[in-house]
Amino acid sequence: MAALYEDADLSSGQGRPARPISGAAGTAGNGSDVDLFLNTDGEWSGAAALMAAVERCNAAGEDDRRAAFRALIERMKEARDAGQFEKLAGALRLALTPMLDYTSVQSLNRFYKLLPSALRGRSKLKLAVLGGFTTHQLRELIELYLFAAGVSAEIYESNFGVFRQEILDPDSGLYEFDPNIVFLATHWRNLGHLPTLSDSPQKVNDQLEEEYGDWAQLWQTLHDRLGSQILQNNFDTPAWRALDNHEMRHSGALARYIAEINRLLMARAPSYATIHDVEALAANNGRRAWGDERFFLHAKMPCAPEYLVEYAHSVSSVLAAQLGLSRKCLVLDLDNTLWGGVIGDDGIGGIRIGQGDAEGEAYLSFQRYVKDLKMRGVILAVCSKNNEQTAREVFEKHPEMILRPDDISCFVANWTDKASNLRSIAQQLNIGLDSLVFVDDNPSERSIIRQLVPEVAVPEVSADPIDFIGALERHRYFQIATLGAEDFKRTEYYRANARRAEIQASAGGLDAFLQSLDMTAVIGPIQATTLERSTQLINKSNQFNLTTRRRNVAEVMALTQSQDWITATVSLTDRFGDNGLISVVLGCVRQDVLEIDTWLMSCRVFKRGVERFLLNHLCELARARGLACIRGEYIPTARNDLVRNHYAELCFRNVEAKPDGHTIWELPLVDYKPLSNFIKEVRADGRNS
Amino acid sequence: MEEIREQVQEVFREVFEDSTLLLNAQMTAEDVEGWDSLAHINLIIAIEKRLKVKFATAEISRLKEDGANVGSMLELVARKRKLSQ
Repeated sequence: MAALYEDADLSSGQGRPARPISGAAGTAGNGSDVDLFLNTDGEWSGAAALMAAVERCNAAGEDDRRAAFRALIERMKEARDAGQFEKLAGALRLALTPMLDYTSVQSLNRFYKLLPSALRGRSKLKLAVLGGFTTHQLRELIELYLFAAGVSAEIYESNFGVFRQEILDPDSGLYEFDPNIVFLATHWRNLGHLPTLSDSPQKVNDQLEEEYGDWAQLWQTLHDRLGSQILQNNFDTPAWRALDNHEMRHSGALARYIAEINRLLMARAPSYATIHDVEALAANNGRRAWGDERFFLHAKMPCAPEYLVEYAHSVSSVLAAQLGLSRKCLVLDLDNTLWGGVIGDDGIGGIRIGQGDAEGEAYLSFQRYVKDLKMRGVILAVCSKNNEQTAREVFEKHPEMILRPDDISCFVANWTDKASNLRSIAQQLNIGLDSLVFVDDNPSERSIIRQLVPEVAVPEVSADPIDFIGALERHRYFQIATLGAEDFKRTEYYRANARRAEIQASAGGLDAFLQSLDMTAVIGPIQATTLERSTQLINKSNQFNLTTRRRNVAEVMALTQSQDWITATVSLTDRFGDNGLISVVLGCVRQDVLEIDTWLMSCRVFKRGVERFLLNHLCELARARGLACIRGEYIPTARNDLVRNHYAELCFRNVEAKPDGHTIWELPLVDYKPLSNFIKEVRADGRNS
Repeated sequence: MEEIREQVQEVFREVFEDSTLLLNAQMTAEDVEGWDSLAHINLIIAIEKRLKVKFATAEISRLKEDGANVGSMLELVARKRKLSQ
């Protein structure tokens, strides 16, 4: 597997001094006043102080938070005055946690607005925000937290309260803007069929159906005209209840009506509409505080301004997840993180974990939460300073442990420094460092990792294990773009992969190994049943991805309905289990050429010959349409070096190589002979085809 | 009163990002650069949080209307703090 890891992610910071943001030196070296700030090696002298100020701010407790934040603002002003915008952007990204208060976020936003657009993020997004309330502040904060997630957003904002007109009028500014995603920022006051207390249950039921139908119609119109994904708020419930204890039992009551419409949204929304659960934000923060009416009355704000921070962070996290930017792996320290005490000193009988003791039960709660994360597809790893055998024994033998050896995809317990170990974990799991989240109870370990490996997210946690859950929750590291059955199977795949690796070690050659896997595959176009999983892969795959073009559900659906496009997906099964849908190809027919727009594959089935199997299928499709040639391209990114020679290995010839590494390849079909592989095609019903 | 003036001044400095801003009783929204209706909301919630007071719905708008100045704002804050003691 050594050839598979990502050089770009793993080499950063290795063997370098503790300087977290290694931007190009002397970005703004013009003008003598600026030169005063530069060291002899051309590095701006304020950089270290700026990063130290960020770290002090992130690690600050309740009592010193304001002082630390004020100091950070002063350092940021120095960066601004020295024209060091790259450093400023790096510091802003690290400082922008969702725990900041509203006034502080406003201060950071002023610095963000000074950044040149090239520093605002590698991923691009055109977002339309259509508000049923004043969206100005929310929109600014969404843009800010998208920037923190690495997304440069261009945002169109409609005027307050005219979202219906914007959608219905084909000549509105919305359609001129042509967004990738439309956020319908609505709240309960935008519901159109609110009942009164005297309405009969039957009447309320009819109103609910009409209500849902109205919203669904708006999405349908948007979808038909734009083909874009829609993010629709559900509705937050106000804190008052005219029927008090019986509010939820009476069909005409406000809270009951809102609960019913929210249930309909969750149950019926089509796949091109993602529901944003703003009701959960209101509930978690307390409805009375969240729904401070004064700010609606004065400024038509949807909630008390303080909560706009979390609101915007939540929206941004869902948008970033749709761009494939969620984190994938939770790395855990052991002593005083998964159990109380130190296993090396206290022994298996002395550590505190389990029922009957408040502290032990707190660690159990945390483990139960982590186990749920694992079951929904988050990869778990361990990174601990311990003897490996001693540490493993707790997972194997302690009767109260919830996490077991099978739950951990990568177990690293040794006396090497944790920064090196985290790099090694990313390498072994074949994912980027920017996919890791590290939880450690030890403040100095956290601080070291944040400075040496800034790509890894390290939430600030208190010494109380029950707070670990809250810290992970508030950062929304593992936000899901679309929820599919595959998410609940993922760790199975990683574990089955480990067993396959064992066989590979024992079997003779690679061919013998592949043969022994008894692989069968279902291959066919993207269908209604595979649309969501295909889209998920399109937005998540980074390594085996030739062009890294992202598309949302609506865009993919449009392609499947076009005569000019050919789509193909592969689902692979072997004797260790079902790998699910693991590869997607999108191709566009132009004259007599099939141009491969997208070719990607899940990293769990690298090196199985799936690409050879898939190419045979594409050639048959192309020949059947009378095409002469298949053309492929490779667009390099920081993470897809793995497939640089993909087309060369499939016998394509190189027809163009641009200076930036972008290459174009062609395969004339007249020369083509099917490539050998060890995969047998079966029909979807399991029979041999 | 002087203590309240200093605390509110600190809030003004943060909200309007001007570390040299000096508050006096005669100042109005016209005199402070950037004191528009959006900044006014930012100011209100920052004062509520730092000074631990709560403005009524009507007071929020009254603080920026014609005739209102920083002096009337400080007096209102002082009155609310006395009431809550």
